[in-house]
Amino acid sequence: MRNLGTVIGFTLRTKMMTKAFIVTTIILALIMTIGVNVPYLISLFSKDEPMKIGLLQGNYPVIEQSLEKSMAEQKNKDLMLLSYPNTTEDQLKKDIEAGKIDGYLKLEKQVEGTTEQFPKVIYTGTDSLGMSKENVLTSTLTLLKTKWVAKGALSEEQFRQLNEPISFESVKLQANGESKDPEKEDANKGISMMVVMVLIVLFFMTNQMTGNMIASEVTQEKSSRIMEILITSVSPLAQMFGKIIGMFLLGLIQIVVFLVVVLANLMLPHNIEPLKEMNFDISMIDPAVIGLGLLLYVLGYFLYATLYAAVGSIVSRTEDLGQAIMPIALLSMVAFYIPIFSISAPNTMLVKVASYIPFFTPTTMLLRIGVGDYAWWELVVSIALLLVSVLLFGYLSAKIYRTGVLMYGKRPSWKEIRKAMKAYKI
Amino acid sequence: MKTLELDQVVKQYGDKTAVNGVSFDVEEGEIYGLLGANGAGKTTTMRMVLSLIYPDGGSIKYNGKPYYKGLEKIFGYLPEERGLYPKVKVSEQLLYLAQLRGMARKDADKSLKYWLERFNVPENYNKKIEELSKGNQQKIGFIASILHNPKIVIMDEAFSGLDPVNVELMKETVKELRDNGTSILFSTHRMEHVEELCRNISILQKGNAVIQGNLRELKSKYPREKVVLRTVGAVEGLEQIAGVSEATRTEEGYFIRITDESAGQHILQAAMSQTEVKHFEIKEPTLNEIFIKVVGGESNA
Ligand SMILES: Nc1ncnc2c1ncn2[C@@H]1O[C@H](COP(=O)(O)OP(=O)(O)OP(=O)(O)O)[C@@H](O)[C@H]1O
Ligand SMILES: [Mg+2]
Repeated sequence: MRNLGTVIGFTLRTKMMTKAFIVTTIILALIMTIGVNVPYLISLFSKDEPMKIGLLQGNYPVIEQSLEKSMAEQKNKDLMLLSYPNTTEDQLKKDIEAGKIDGYLKLEKQVEGTTEQFPKVIYTGTDSLGMSKENVLTSTLTLLKTKWVAKGALSEEQFRQLNEPISFESVKLQANGESKDPEKEDANKGISMMVVMVLIVLFFMTNQMTGNMIASEVTQEKSSRIMEILITSVSPLAQMFGKIIGMFLLGLIQIVVFLVVVLANLMLPHNIEPLKEMNFDISMIDPAVIGLGLLLYVLGYFLYATLYAAVGSIVSRTEDLGQAIMPIALLSMVAFYIPIFSISAPNTMLVKVASYIPFFTPTTMLLRIGVGDYAWWELVVSIALLLVSVLLFGYLSAKIYRTGVLMYGKRPSWKEIRKAMKAYKI
Repeated sequence: MKTLELDQVVKQYGDKTAVNGVSFDVEEGEIYGLLGANGAGKTTTMRMVLSLIYPDGGSIKYNGKPYYKGLEKIFGYLPEERGLYPKVKVSEQLLYLAQLRGMARKDADKSLKYWLERFNVPENYNKKIEELSKGNQQKIGFIASILHNPKIVIMDEAFSGLDPVNVELMKETVKELRDNGTSILFSTHRMEHVEELCRNISILQKGNAVIQGNLRELKSKYPREKVVLRTVGAVEGLEQIAGVSEATRTEEGYFIRITDESAGQHILQAAMSQTEVKHFEIKEPTLNEIFIKVVGGESNA
C-alpha cells in the first residue's frame, strides 16, 4: 500500500504542474468570478427610476387629494404620482412628449341614471401601465371608493380595519398527521432541487472529464511501453487505483479552489446586499441531500473511473480511444438525462427502477433523495448494490488492465481476454 | 546458487510458437547473452523472465524458487522500446520508478545525481524526456534500469543508438555491475559487445536455442578456417597446398581460407622455406561469423 501512496503522489505532481490543468483552472475560476458578480453588474446598469405619472386635477378634488396622499404614503418604488393643479390636458400631453412624465391619469364623471357614480379613471400614456402598477392603482382607488360610497358612515377605526389585508394560510396534511408549514417546505424543495441539479451536472461533467483523462493516460502509458516497467514494479491494482484516486484528489483540489473563489467573491461588500435580497440562507440546504449526494458522487466516480481505466488499457493507440469509450460515455449520459428530465416528476417507475441500476444510482437516487419520496431501505439497498459493483468492477477492471496493457495490435477477442484474465494475478 | 534458471520455456501467440522450449541458467555476477535474428524470440523470453507474460510451458526459477513477491524490488529492466514518460521531467519519473521499486526518494535522488554525473549529462536532471536526443534518452533509460541497485538486470538491446564513447561508458558500467554480483540478461545485435562481455550465450532461431554454452568453448568447437600470413617477400604456390581453398594477397602478406586445419602447418612451412615470416596466425571464427553461419541470413519474422 506504500506504493499506492507513491502512485497517487506522482499522479498529483505531474498533473498539477501541467499547463493544461493550470490554465483551465484559472479560466474556470474567472468565469465563476464573473458569474457571481452578474447580479451586481446588472443592478449597475439598470438604475431603475420610478415611473412618473401626472394627475390631472380639478374634477374631483377630494378623491384626487386622497389618491395623492395615499400614494405618497405607500412610497411605491416603481410608481410616482405628480400632481398637476390648474393645467390643461394639452399641457400634460406636451410633458409626455418632452419625456417629463410617462403618462397621466384623469378622473371622468360617470352618471348612471340619475345617481352619480364613482368617477371613471382614464390612463393616457405612451405605453400601457402594466399589470403590477395597475394593481397598485386600482387597489388604492378601491379603498377610496369605499370611503366615497360610505360617505362618513364609517369611523376611522372601521376604515382602518377594512384597509387591512386578509390573512390567508394553507396547511398541508402529512401522512403521519403532523402538519408542516408548506410555504417553508416549498422553499426548501426549491433549494434541494437546485442542489440536486448542481450535483448531477457536476457529476456528469467531472465524470466525463476525468474519465477521458484516465483512459488516455493509460493508453499513453501502454503505447510508450512504460507500462512494462510499471507492471514489473507495482501491482496493477495499486497502479490503477493510485491513478484514479490521484485524479480524484486533483478534481477535489480544483473544486476547493473554485469554492474559495466563489465564497471570496460573495463576501465582497457589493455582493452581500443582493444576496440578502434573494432570501438565501445556508441553513435551508438539507444536510442529508448534501451528505448522501457526496457519498453517491464518490462511489459513482470510482465505478466509472475503473471502467475508463480498463478501456484505456485495451486500446493500443490514442486515436482508437474515442470509439472505445463510447459505451461508457453513453452510460453516463443516460445517468445524466434520466434525472434531468424527471426533475418535476421524481417518483415515476423509470426513476425508481433506474435508482437500483448501479450506473444510474448516483444521479437517480440523488434525485429521489432531494425532491422525491423514498424509503430508507430503498436507499440502503441501492447504495449497497452500488458499493458491491464498485468492488466487482474495480476487480474486473484491474484484471482487464493487467491483461490489456500487454495486448498490442489487433483488438483482442473476448476469448483471449477471458483466458488471459484467468492467468494474471493482480 | 543460480540466480535464474529457465527450463523448457514455451510461449505461444495464437498458433505461432514464439519461444519453443528454451533452457539456460544465469549465475550470480554473470552477463548472459541472448542472441538471435529479428523475431527469434529474445524479447518474448525476457518478458517471461520478468513475469510480464506467463510461459505456456516450462518453468522459470529465481534463486531456486518460482516467482515470488519481492522480486520486483530486485529487478531492473531496460525495455527494447524505451519506456519513459515523454512529457515528464527526468528526475520526476526516475525517482518515481525507483520509489516503486522500494528505494527511498532521498537515496534515489543521490544515486540519480551520481549516475547523471558519471554519464556526463547532469544538465538533464530537470529536462523532459521529449527534449532529449535519442542517445540521451537511451542513457536515461539505462540509468532508470539500474538506479535502485537491482540484483537481476534485463537489458533488451542496451546499446542501440549510442556513439562509441558512450558505448564504452555503458560497457564499463555493465562490467562493474557484474563484478558487484549482479546477474545480467543481455540481448544485442552487436556481436563484438557479446564477445567482450558475455561468458555464456544462447543463439535463438525461430524460438529454438540452436547454439548454447560457453563462448570460448563454442568458438573452439567451430573449425578454424582463416590464416593470416605476413612475410617480408613473396610466397609462391599457396593455392597448390592441399586444403587451401583460396589465397589472396594483402598489403603486408596473404589472407588464406582453408578447409582443413592441418593445412596451416603446410602453409607455414612453405612460407618459411621461401622468405622470412613476420606473422602467422590461424584465426578463430568470430561470433559474427558463427552467427551468420547458424542463422544463415534467413529472416524468421
Ligand atoms: N504480442 C504478440 N502477439 C503476437 N505475436 C507476437 C507478440 N509478441 C511477439 N510476437 C511474435 O513472437 C515472435 C518473437 O518476437 P520477439 O519480439 O520475442 O522477437 P525478438 O527476438 O525480440 O526480435 P527483435 O530482434 O526484432 O527484437 C515474433 O515472431 C513475433 O511476431
Ligand atoms: Mg526484441
